[in-house]
Amino acid sequence: MSTTTATTTYTYTHTATYLSDVIMGTIADVLALLGITPDGATRWDQDQSAIAAWIEEQSLEMVVLECRRPDGTVRPIFEFPVTYKATGEGEFENSRAAMARAHAKVSSVPSGTTYRLFCTYRTAHTPQLGWSPGTRASTDGLRSTSFGTLAEAPHASASARYLR
Amino acid sequence: MQRRREIASAPKRSAAEVWQTIRELLGDTLDRSSSIERADLDAALDPLDGVARMLILAGHLEGHPLVLVAGELWLEITTVSGGSALSLQENLNPVPGGAGASDWTLHVPQVEPMAKLVRTTVKGHDHLSADEPTAPPQSAAKASGGVDLDAVARWAREAA
Repeated sequence: MSTTTATTTYTYTHTATYLSDVIMGTIADVLALLGITPDGATRWDQDQSAIAAWIEEQSLEMVVLECRRPDGTVRPIFEFPVTYKATGEGEFENSRAAMARAHAKVSSVPSGTTYRLFCTYRTAHTPQLGWSPGTRASTDGLRSTSFGTLAEAPHASASARYLR
Repeated sequence: MQRRREIASAPKRSAAEVWQTIRELLGDTLDRSSSIERADLDAALDPLDGVARMLILAGHLEGHPLVLVAGELWLEITTVSGGSALSLQENLNPVPGGAGASDWTLHVPQVEPMAKLVRTTVKGHDHLSADEPTAPPQSAAKASGGVDLDAVARWAREAA
């Protein structure tokens, strides 16, 4: 009797593409949920490409979505920390369904609310198109709720936090 | 003629690449029609460029297909992500049935929380709809496993 096996090698590029996809997809859902007008296609492409590049070089610490209200206050804030693994083992999994259930906990925002994305870094990072240095809003006084692990990939994982 | 196509998304492709692949599949399929101009089709799809990326990124097209209705062609397009995307055997060839189409509509699924955004995006665009498409043509829906049994029967009759 002969047997065959198939081995799939997952690369860091696969991990980066997958995690950036799930993070940006979660941001897309949150923007739609809150009724915040999203940016155009070009901006989505730039942002996903940048986040993927920073995950691939392991410089990305966290992606942050800030919702800026017409009165100037910034809330809610969503944080997506990325954790890197020493080995490239594991599969691609996500908790989009759990995240969708968590939408019920997200407060509404007034009309005219806009958004900004920030990234923080754990090491030096390569400049990416459409991204420049910025300053995050203060999170003082905001209550943090963890939404747990958002996605797992062979070389890294991403989780989600909600600050309101 | 009911057909299905699965497109590999992340980690094989970024959302932009997935949408471009879907656009090319739609274009190659309807390009066979003498009544539909490729440039017109491309222009008609442009309004979806943003929301399509969002639907792909959020994984909504994995369970809720884009549906192209063009004459007798009913084409459902879904995406596949994760490890399955890397092993997916894709068929990106033009989908049979497009040649006879004289008009077409792409139905975009109203998936929460993006339903309102989808409705707003397609509003006013002749070839885009957020409505559920009407049932596929029954005459060809008897096909199973991707084989059009009616076409096989016609071929058998002609060959006899």
